Amino acid sequence: MRAAWRPRVVVAGLTLVMALTACGPQPPDGATLLTQSSQRMLDLKGFHFQMQITGFTGPAEPVQSAQGDAHPPDLHAKVNLKEGGVLLEVEVIFNSDKIYLKSFTGGWQELTAAQVAQFFDARLLFDPQAGLFAAMRDTTAPYRGNSEKINGHDTYPVDGVLQGPRVHQLLPLIRDQGSYRATYWIETPSNNLWRARVTGNLFDASQAATIVFDFSNHDHPVSVSPPPLG
Amino acid sequence: MITPFRSARLRSVNRPALLALTGAGLFLASLDAYVVVTALLPMLTSVHIAVNRPEQATPIITGFLLGYLAVMPIAGGLSDRFGRIRIFAACLALFAFGSFLTASAPSLSQLVTGRLLQGAGGGALVPAVLALAADLYPAGDRSPVLGAVSALQEIGSVLGPLWGGLVTASSVGWTWIFWLNIPAAAAIIWALWPEIQSRREERRPTKLDWVGALLATAGLALLTLALYAANPEQSPVGAGFLWQAPLSVLFFAAFVWYERHASQPLINVRRFRDSSFSGSALTNAIAGAGLMVALVYIPVLANAVFSMNASGSALLLVRLMLGIPIGALLGGWLAYRLRSYRLVAALGLVLAAVGFLMLSGWTEGSLKPHLIGPLTLADGELFLTGLGLGIEIAPVSAALLDAVGEAERGAGASFLIVMRLVGMLVGFSLVAGFGLWEFHRATAHLLPPLPGLNPNFAAQFAFYTLKVKQAIFDQYHLIFRATAIALLVGAAVAAATLRPLARPRWQ
Repeated sequence: MRAAWRPRVVVAGLTLVMALTACGPQPPDGATLLTQSSQRMLDLKGFHFQMQITGFTGPAEPVQSAQGDAHPPDLHAKVNLKEGGVLLEVEVIFNSDKIYLKSFTGGWQELTAAQVAQFFDARLLFDPQAGLFAAMRDTTAPYRGNSEKINGHDTYPVDGVLQGPRVHQLLPLIRDQGSYRATYWIETPSNNLWRARVTGNLFDASQAATIVFDFSNHDHPVSVSPPPLG
Repeated sequence: MITPFRSARLRSVNRPALLALTGAGLFLASLDAYVVVTALLPMLTSVHIAVNRPEQATPIITGFLLGYLAVMPIAGGLSDRFGRIRIFAACLALFAFGSFLTASAPSLSQLVTGRLLQGAGGGALVPAVLALAADLYPAGDRSPVLGAVSALQEIGSVLGPLWGGLVTASSVGWTWIFWLNIPAAAAIIWALWPEIQSRREERRPTKLDWVGALLATAGLALLTLALYAANPEQSPVGAGFLWQAPLSVLFFAAFVWYERHASQPLINVRRFRDSSFSGSALTNAIAGAGLMVALVYIPVLANAVFSMNASGSALLLVRLMLGIPIGALLGGWLAYRLRSYRLVAALGLVLAAVGFLMLSGWTEGSLKPHLIGPLTLADGELFLTGLGLGIEIAPVSAALLDAVGEAERGAGASFLIVMRLVGMLVGFSLVAGFGLWEFHRATAHLLPPLPGLNPNFAAQFAFYTLKVKQAIFDQYHLIFRATAIALLVGAAVAAATLRPLARPRWQ
């Protein structure tokens, strides 16, 4: 008799396991994830970011990559610029409406508004209205994919579409026509955004480019102070 | 470590073919030792590193040297234990794998790892091929073959920068320097395959001094880290210098202590009491440092202030590299005729120091004035520097080999290469850190003009560029003068310590 019990116990056990797996916490749908993550990122006391542009950027867009710490609107970043086929690194600080630059030689200098217009205004990237985190809410047709590991964290990728004029707001060098594909990798339940990617013919009507943002150190307090000049 | 086996089978194989194949592998690896000096800027750009952060290129050079130094001392013993050709093939495969990582690197860390593995694979080939050559030929016939193997290694390293410059300047780009290694290494291993597979290759259980090799490598790795100025704006040495440097000294002390008590030490440390031995070792290291400074900074100078491309800077360097083999032959002959190592070694180092002093006076117009026909004064100065660095090789090497005696000659030959590379590693690390630190100090208050509503921008920018070029020149003048002083110190050491030639006698 005892032997006949065994298969039943096994079947019962298996059913229980399957039932438990199926009833595990379901991740929210794409739109909810985007809204929650957008709010989370806007509320952070600080974060580290890395931005990398690949593909066709053309002569009008010198910025190739940037990395630094931000507590919007303040931020401190190192930026790689491409000038005549050569990569050059500069350092920028945005601190309470003032902008400072540390170029190839010498110390820090303060920039005027006219000079900032020559570069790109990195504050717009994380601006609460125009920036990337606000753009998450304006992403249409969101679709949540299967879980993916990004920098060692379990995230859900959310795919969607961003209109050209909207992306143009956060980076004015981007064309304001057509639409671009955006993907966000969001961790649950923390709602931390670990990676965001925008692809399309960003800088030229017929040539593709991609911008990838990687975030880390979520909510680590960042305080940016004005640098000593000279 | 050349301890030949008397293998009847090995002597029955096609010796020239075996030597040609292994020699080709050795040549391939030696080409890559300094191949990067003319390709550094494009390499940095392709891993997204800005040209105004050149300190990040330092590990591309030091990584290779460190890998080379880590395996060289034990490779001879490994080839005793596992078979020469097998170790040769395994290390050539490692070299090819390192080349693959370097060529395909998306990041600086992979680039440096690739260079480290290239060095480790390439460094092991030298003792393995020397030992194989010693196996294949009896004692009386051996020296021309060993000489040819060493010459192949030297020629490869001399041609490396030219090869690198030509490939980098061509349309295929710098990665092909490294991609091409893979089919070449594969072809050599394929041709050696019957030998690798045959289980008859002689092996001998050898006691390997793992502890000694690990202590020495740990000491060197820490010293390299301590001297690596990752942030030359703040400090001419590494951020961890204060703990890494003493720790590396501790490792070296432990190495010396261990070697005194080891049954089969890597190097007989008691030899250091002999001033001719330690003097020639030190002189050799200083000369290595001098060569490395020339190899790295002449191409960078050519690029930064003379606006030459990779092949242009390689061709400029060739003038110096040409002097080295000519000087090497001349130095050997002079030492023999004058029956003095100290005189000839000191002469070579003084000539090299004079060469460096002349180079340190270069200005933007230095490449223009013609001396005789198409030759410029700069050509002569470069050649003189190379000639001096070549003249010193034979007397310094011979003095060290005389000091160790017949029984330790193989270990002595390895030690010579090791000391030269240590000199290159330490000398280059110091020069790179202090040079950039000095550049940042000189330009600390030089603010670049900014465009945008600035009517005088063009004029201001031209003035700024002039100032930056001047600061770069000042940095080089300092580096070349410091190298000249180091070489003069080397000349004094050689003059004070090297013993005269032994009276020739039959043994």
